[in-house]
Amino acid sequence: MNCLTKLGLIALLAVVATGSGCAKKPKNITPIPNGYNGSAAPGSDVSQGGALRGGPGAGPGNSGRFTQPTDAAPRDLGIDPNKGAGSSSELPSGNLRDGKIEDRETFKGNTVYFEYDKSAVKSSELAKIAAVAEHLKSHADASLAVEGHCDERGTEEYNRSLSERRALSIRERLVNLGVSASRVTTEAFGEDKPADLGHDDSAWSKNRRGEFILLVPPSLK
Amino acid sequence: MKLPSLLQAMAICATVLPAFAAGFDAEISGQAAKSIPIALTGYTGEAAQILKFDLEVLGFDVVPAAKAQFELKAGAGTEVQGTLVDTGNQHPLFSRSYPGGSVRSQAHTLSDDVVKAVTGNAGIARTKIAYKADLGGAKEIYVSDYDGANAFRATEDRSITASPAWVPGRLALLYTSYKGGKPDVYSHDLGTGARSRVFGFNGLNTSATVSPDGKRIAVVLSKSGSPDLWVSNIDGSALRQLTTTKESESSPCWSPDSKTICFVSNRDGKAALYTVSAAGGEMRKLSTGGILNCTEPDWSPDGKWIAFTRAAGEFTLYVVPAGGGDATAITAGEDPSWAKNSRTIVFTRGRDRARRLSLLDVPTRRVKDVNRISGSCSQPSWAR
Repeated sequence: MNCLTKLGLIALLAVVATGSGCAKKPKNITPIPNGYNGSAAPGSDVSQGGALRGGPGAGPGNSGRFTQPTDAAPRDLGIDPNKGAGSSSELPSGNLRDGKIEDRETFKGNTVYFEYDKSAVKSSELAKIAAVAEHLKSHADASLAVEGHCDERGTEEYNRSLSERRALSIRERLVNLGVSASRVTTEAFGEDKPADLGHDDSAWSKNRRGEFILLVPPSLK
Repeated sequence: MKLPSLLQAMAICATVLPAFAAGFDAEISGQAAKSIPIALTGYTGEAAQILKFDLEVLGFDVVPAAKAQFELKAGAGTEVQGTLVDTGNQHPLFSRSYPGGSVRSQAHTLSDDVVKAVTGNAGIARTKIAYKADLGGAKEIYVSDYDGANAFRATEDRSITASPAWVPGRLALLYTSYKGGKPDVYSHDLGTGARSRVFGFNGLNTSATVSPDGKRIAVVLSKSGSPDLWVSNIDGSALRQLTTTKESESSPCWSPDSKTICFVSNRDGKAALYTVSAAGGEMRKLSTGGILNCTEPDWSPDGKWIAFTRAAGEFTLYVVPAGGGDATAITAGEDPSWAKNSRTIVFTRGRDRARRLSLLDVPTRRVKDVNRISGSCSQPSWAR
């Protein structure tokens, strides 16, 4: 019981965590649809993590005992996840992936490539984005995830932010082409999901990219 | 010989310390400091191996007794014992026995005592590190002793897990996990296994680090439409946006007084270091003496230095005064994280997804590899 109370508290804290005070916004930035974040601490795999033993310790600071993660149980606390999240009312209240099927094939040929250490979309890539925008306009039930990626030449967290910036640049283009901002989300992978495992210019140029994942309702698939 | 041993020890420290401690500042900008020659007499097997490793990491050279400034002599007992002697006058600085626990922990405790007796500073042999390991598919978080022993896989998400950061003074981590399909920040208590998502906004949630006073989190979120620096209470509440650039911010770290955050921005095109008050205000560029492409800052616990990675084709570790100034190249590598002694750094070296963790003694520039687990290791965080 004690344990459950604790988990509930953790879940509550996670909900509190989603409140925000949004500062002034710079120009030309489209806020990301909110709400995916809004739910209580996620994770349905509340399993009893077995206590594993590391090395026994003689001194302080060498406790040697760690436990595998047991995620806090999600529960509905009746809190509107969007309240105070600093987003406009038109934004969706849930994960764009919820109830949708992931389609990585349709836009496989539309992958957008970037220059080293840059997040600006090259003019050579604009037609690819325009085609995605047209598709979205004629398929109102679909949503889109834009995955951002980097080559391995930057440092890891720098790349994670840069890859998000790349995905956001693509999203910005889509919005400018008339796609509702609430239908497009971004997913940053940094250098963690290379398309080409090589370590040369050719591989790097393929890894600096933005990929489109179409999210479609099951009935349309 | 007639002096009480305490006074004797103080006299020895007085002669050793200037070259050892004061040399540090000089060494940042100049030649490497000299190592201290020490002999290990009578130790065998695991104890000998561990003592040698620990002492070399902290700037000692293990040499024959004839060439040593200090000699550490083993005892006859089954447990690890040590008598530390100044070879100049043969006076013992201490003579101790370490019963209980494993040989490994006994030897680590003894080496910490040697470091304390000779340098006056606390050792680091019984501290822990956390890091990311690429297992050739899944990327999981591991926790181990500082030398890589007793490695424990903290996550089993079979996803991408990255950017571990210790909660100061606790067996707990914050890290980024893609178990939900995208980068979210989780808090993980290593003692109970309890885990909760702290930041799960749409877009990017990553690079979370806890302030030294344990009260706040600095984190990179893109929910405003750009990867910006945010700060919150330790439970994720009272979230506040600190930067509003259109370009991306990354890798925040805290000053030891928990008042200032140093981070990376490419606001002006190239990646550079900036500082901002955790209470809000203008972001200010930190001078690195003309060195460009600066990423991954880490503030030394004594507040004096910021170590960072220059990413320009190759990765190089630099150290710059915390107030800015000329940055000094230290060694090839990336991802620096200071130990609590503000002297030793754990970092990543190697490339092509075959990276390993190494320990750097900044004054002597000595580098020693951490015991390797399978897989490519990166993003170390030193518990402090």
